[in-house]
Amino acid sequence: MSSSGSVGPKVTQRLKHKLGFKSYEKPKDSTAREQQRKAAQVLDAEGRDVTPRPLCPTFLGVLPLDEIFSSKGSDRSKPTSSFADLLTSSSFLESTSQSSLSPKDSWTKETIDSLTLQDVNPNLPAPYKVPVKINRVEEDLTEDMLDEVVQKVITDRDTLTLLDLSLTHGVSEEAEDSNAVQERNVLYAELCRNRTNNDKYVDGATQTLNGMPKVKKIQTNKNIVVDEGATATNWDLHDSYCEQKKTPEAHEADIQDLTASTGKGQDRTAESISGDTGSTVSSLLEKCEDSFKARPDLEDVLMSDSFKSSLLVMERAVATNVLLAELAAYKNLPVLEDPDRTAEPGFGEQSDEDEEHLSTPTMKHLWVFVCDLTKGYKATSMAWSKKNSNILAVGYIAHDSKNPNPGLICCWSLKNPKWPERVYSCHSDVMSLDFSANNPSQLAVGMKDGSISIYSVNTEGETAFIASSREGSRKHLHPVMQVTWTKHQLKLSEKERQDVLVSVSIDGRITKWFLGGSGLDCIDLMKLKKIYDAKKKAAGGKKVEGNVLVPAIPALCFDFHPTEYGIYLVGTYDGLIHECSVSNNEQFLNTYKHHIGPVNHVEWSPFSPDVFLSCSSDWSMHLWQRGVSAPTMSFRSAYSEVHIAQWSSNSPALFAAIYKQWVEVWDLNSNIMFPTIVHHAAADVELTSLLFARDSDSVLVGDTEGQVTVYKLPNLRVGRTKKVESLDDIIQSVSSHRW
Amino acid sequence: MKVDVEGTLKRIESYKGVIGTIVVNAEGIPIRSTLDNSTTVQYAGLLRHLAAMARSSVRDIDPQNDLTVLRIHSKKYEIMVAPENNYLLIVIQNPCE
Repeated sequence: MSSSGSVGPKVTQRLKHKLGFKSYEKPKDSTAREQQRKAAQVLDAEGRDVTPRPLCPTFLGVLPLDEIFSSKGSDRSKPTSSFADLLTSSSFLESTSQSSLSPKDSWTKETIDSLTLQDVNPNLPAPYKVPVKINRVEEDLTEDMLDEVVQKVITDRDTLTLLDLSLTHGVSEEAEDSNAVQERNVLYAELCRNRTNNDKYVDGATQTLNGMPKVKKIQTNKNIVVDEGATATNWDLHDSYCEQKKTPEAHEADIQDLTASTGKGQDRTAESISGDTGSTVSSLLEKCEDSFKARPDLEDVLMSDSFKSSLLVMERAVATNVLLAELAAYKNLPVLEDPDRTAEPGFGEQSDEDEEHLSTPTMKHLWVFVCDLTKGYKATSMAWSKKNSNILAVGYIAHDSKNPNPGLICCWSLKNPKWPERVYSCHSDVMSLDFSANNPSQLAVGMKDGSISIYSVNTEGETAFIASSREGSRKHLHPVMQVTWTKHQLKLSEKERQDVLVSVSIDGRITKWFLGGSGLDCIDLMKLKKIYDAKKKAAGGKKVEGNVLVPAIPALCFDFHPTEYGIYLVGTYDGLIHECSVSNNEQFLNTYKHHIGPVNHVEWSPFSPDVFLSCSSDWSMHLWQRGVSAPTMSFRSAYSEVHIAQWSSNSPALFAAIYKQWVEVWDLNSNIMFPTIVHHAAADVELTSLLFARDSDSVLVGDTEGQVTVYKLPNLRVGRTKKVESLDDIIQSVSSHRW
Repeated sequence: MKVDVEGTLKRIESYKGVIGTIVVNAEGIPIRSTLDNSTTVQYAGLLRHLAAMARSSVRDIDPQNDLTVLRIHSKKYEIMVAPENNYLLIVIQNPCE
């Protein structure tokens, strides 16, 4: 009775008295709607009626109610509502102007013309004029009329069939068994027909008995509820997922390992790691864990691999803690003052430097690489790893010739000066070492018996040994003085330059090595032969025939040019320095002759091109320029053999020299006549090797005790007013002064 | 030469300022220690949970990462803990002795 709410209370009461007057509401509705619709006629610009027609076909059913109402003479009561009830999608209007029930034909015409705008265009509701309707209704109904008993007959309308599938009974004609279905349908239809008057079929009635309901009660124990919480952390999910990926065989294999009591098995026992105190995290392996009650033993723990790696890390942590200040000084890092420990004086404070500036500069002793293994050896050669500047390889020679390991190689890390990371023993004294740049883990070693070995420092022990030239047919027969990895002359691109191992030996051969077949094989780059002085020949009157054996001259050192690959210098036993090229193995490009004694070390300057330094056992060092036959500068400060003279890799005018008992550091910026720093070794100790640190102002000195000491050079430029000159400028000034 | 576990442990203990080392097994029972029993038990019990929590945090951020060393630098000394699945290695050092 939704519409009654809109009608006035008077009419509502009257309506309630009548039976079947519910339908009256609808006429009001319909009339109201009719008004709406009439009002909502669509007219185009020229006034033509273009109202859309109803979508559903009109129904030509009889309207019994209309007849009844029309007898009363009421205009209003021409309900189309009965239709409207049944067919909600459309409703039919009739003209209010009609006074009598129109015949069907006229009805249809009307209805066709009428609007059903409610359905078609719901956006145009005309306002529902309630008071007007009410008034109209009230006018027609008189009191007498209301008191009459009126009979209404409400009938159902014909069923509107939209789709009839009865013929097919749900099976399409194209289906395979449609014939069978249709037959059955026909049979069934016959059966139904026959049933009605047939004696075979008797209608009977049954009644099902309802069982008596019975209430039964039981009582159970209360379910014990336990709250269990688990934290699913990110990593636990990851671990479970990784475990799940493993095949069952792998699981079995792991369980086998458990019994073997290796450390691996232990990792599986505690998959449940507490995310926080109390709650445990579940994992797939807990069921495996229960079956194997392996309890980690002290031995198992200690022997496990992870324990060893933990120990390694821990040792480094402890060592760096102890050496914190020294390492910071090495790396030129400032040490933060610990506010809780103000009593200790800082290591690199400014006051120290100021004091030093006044007195002679000295090297600060930082720390020593020494361990029990190196006792009884002397350190002869050192090399930095090309890739990791923390790794230092040191070669040792045993003092005692009866030592079963006459040669030793130790790879030290800056983080732990008390124990080397790798220790390899060699069958012969180690004379020289070098790391490869291309394969940073390869270390080439030249030994006293003339053999060359390559080690891989990635692994420990015997597996590190890669190749040796011991079985080679053309190996050196004399001690190998120096090995070096140098860039190949041929290049594809700068990055692809391969490293080539070159060695120099006392037998006068400079050879290039490569890994062939079963070991190292070599090609001679140069053979040093004695150069006969032309004058001597003439004086002697003898001509040297071609098939006279020419003795080879021992070569003691060599160095490749840093930028021009393929050019190298060789220092020889008779004081000559030859400049040679890789491509020419017969002749020297140049010879520099000034030294009287054997040339112990030559080195190109890493900063100035074509400048090199040489030192020899004739107590002197010379600075040469390439192409100039006489040395540009000479340094002579002590009456002792110079073993090694090396350029600093940080400062262009700095180099250091090792004598037997002391180290000299020359700074050509400040003084070209005297060394800037002189450091004496302890009394019984001789110094045997020298190496500049690459990324720090430090110098490493090896001695006969097997110790490698790290010294920090003071900042020699502190307090200087002059600008630092490059080496070229110094040379220029020296050359100009000379002439 | 293989890493000599005993030798390494002895070497660690001989460094300057190292007060003690403790090895604790998975259940929290100290299996090797250079300190007295009560201190050992106290360290083991307290550090176990802290190391597990630190480890959980590191792995939560990236499950493929793992904690190697947890260093607690305090006023008086530094405690270094290396946690693993089945043991705990604790070293206490006073670096500025």
